[in-house]
Amino acid sequence: MILEPLPPKILSVRRIPNADPALLRAYGADPARHRSLGLVTVDQDDPTYVALDEATKHAPVDVVFARSFYAGSAHGSGPISGEILGVLAATDPDEIDEGLAALIRCLEHDARFYAADATRTTAVFPHVITALGHYLSAQAGLAPGEPMAYLVAPPMEATIGLDAALKAADVRAVKIFPPPTETNFAASWLTGSLEACEAAAVAFAEAVVKVAAEPKGRYL
Amino acid sequence: MSRTRQLIDALRDQMGGSAPLPPPPPLPRVAEPPARVYPRRAEEKSAYAREASAHTTALLGIGHVGTRYATDVVLQFQAELAVAHEAVGQELPDDWAGKSGLISLQSRVQSHREFLLRPDLGRRLSDDSLGVLRTAVRRGVDVQPILADGLSAVACMQSGLELLAEFTKACEARGLSVGTPMCAKFARVWLEDEIGYEVQAKVAAILLGERPGLGTGDGLSAYLVYAPAIGKTDGDRNMMSNIHARGTVPKVAGDRLAVLSKAMIDQRTSGVALDLSHLTAELGEAAGRHHRAPQERVRLVEVQS
Repeated sequence: MILEPLPPKILSVRRIPNADPALLRAYGADPARHRSLGLVTVDQDDPTYVALDEATKHAPVDVVFARSFYAGSAHGSGPISGEILGVLAATDPDEIDEGLAALIRCLEHDARFYAADATRTTAVFPHVITALGHYLSAQAGLAPGEPMAYLVAPPMEATIGLDAALKAADVRAVKIFPPPTETNFAASWLTGSLEACEAAAVAFAEAVVKVAAEPKGRYL
Repeated sequence: MSRTRQLIDALRDQMGGSAPLPPPPPLPRVAEPPARVYPRRAEEKSAYAREASAHTTALLGIGHVGTRYATDVVLQFQAELAVAHEAVGQELPDDWAGKSGLISLQSRVQSHREFLLRPDLGRRLSDDSLGVLRTAVRRGVDVQPILADGLSAVACMQSGLELLAEFTKACEARGLSVGTPMCAKFARVWLEDEIGYEVQAKVAAILLGERPGLGTGDGLSAYLVYAPAIGKTDGDRNMMSNIHARGTVPKVAGDRLAVLSKAMIDQRTSGVALDLSHLTAELGEAAGRHHRAPQERVRLVEVQS
């Protein structure tokens, strides 16, 4: 069954109300502004980046740390390691709670990979962020509130898909992450009008499905 | 529902997806806003907050919702701040002094923006004004009152003339000679030093709009100095603030300022050295160096909630 949603599994969510300054500094937080941390591990990294960004739109929190783990969740160091550790920082534990609630809501209802083939072995992430938060906008060098297409697939699929996406609509690439990334996927961030981002994401997903169905084209 | 999921569902239909997809998970119920505001109304203030707020006009015991202010408190704050901003932004019309029968003076400041940014220029008279001062006014007087805009032209225009008249009347009743009434534009407090020196007054008294605070855009302050000359410091001055309808009214303020002037001339000094301990009957709390009686905060604007 193609393009079936593959919901991310939230493996752990914890809060540190009053973190030690040394810990805050090590994870990129500023002890002068931040006191509380919210931590989450998930088995899909890219939906989590989107969800962390979503949290900055709902609460005065900063994403101070978000890193993918090498070779993905199938090779995690423990049962709850997953594929990513994301850390929110705020002045107040209440703000962390509010941020985590928005993050979980986004992971459960919005950001997810989709299966690109019938056996669910190829995953594609053709996500449209309608309005960027403070985190991804800073990473992408865009203004908060701008739309962005966040496109991820395995190396071959992503490369063909990115070309299709860029040609499908009036979008421009803000950042391209060629393989190998930590998880060995390839990704790209495109921006333009919201409609253009949506058209690009759909073209990307369609191209990925077609490559997954016919990986060798007409050559073999 | 997720926008991306809608797009991908449509693409799937278009590409001939067979079996129906599992339904999307139901959206969570959005939490109700906090039902309780602490305190819900002014009368619910704690005994401590009530006691503390009786001693100050500061905002105490205003409650909170979670970690934030309640909406009505924020709206009230914004309304009062707007009054203050507006008062600072007002400029005294050039012809106001002339129409009010006062000699018109101006400091070295050229524009309102410069006035806010350059206090030093607001403390010296322009060359034209110096010329006027040297030719057109009485010299060698006991008291030289100077009305001025200061940081609130609104206050100057609203109750400035009344305060000036009351002060002049009260001085004359005490046998003090009063200088020609004048009004200075773009003036800072220390401008009285130069004016007072030029007219050879024993006491210079500048009555000017004070820096607007929350909801008080119409307050006047008066600064008095004995033997005015450039170089006098704030330690040489006596001042009275909050002269407006809800604070010290102009009638009372005029009397008290005249008593202060008389005391300065009698003791030949002003500021820290001035002894007001025998004048508590006339000056009230202004004479003492002790705790000021609790003052109730009266709002200039009231937001309906």
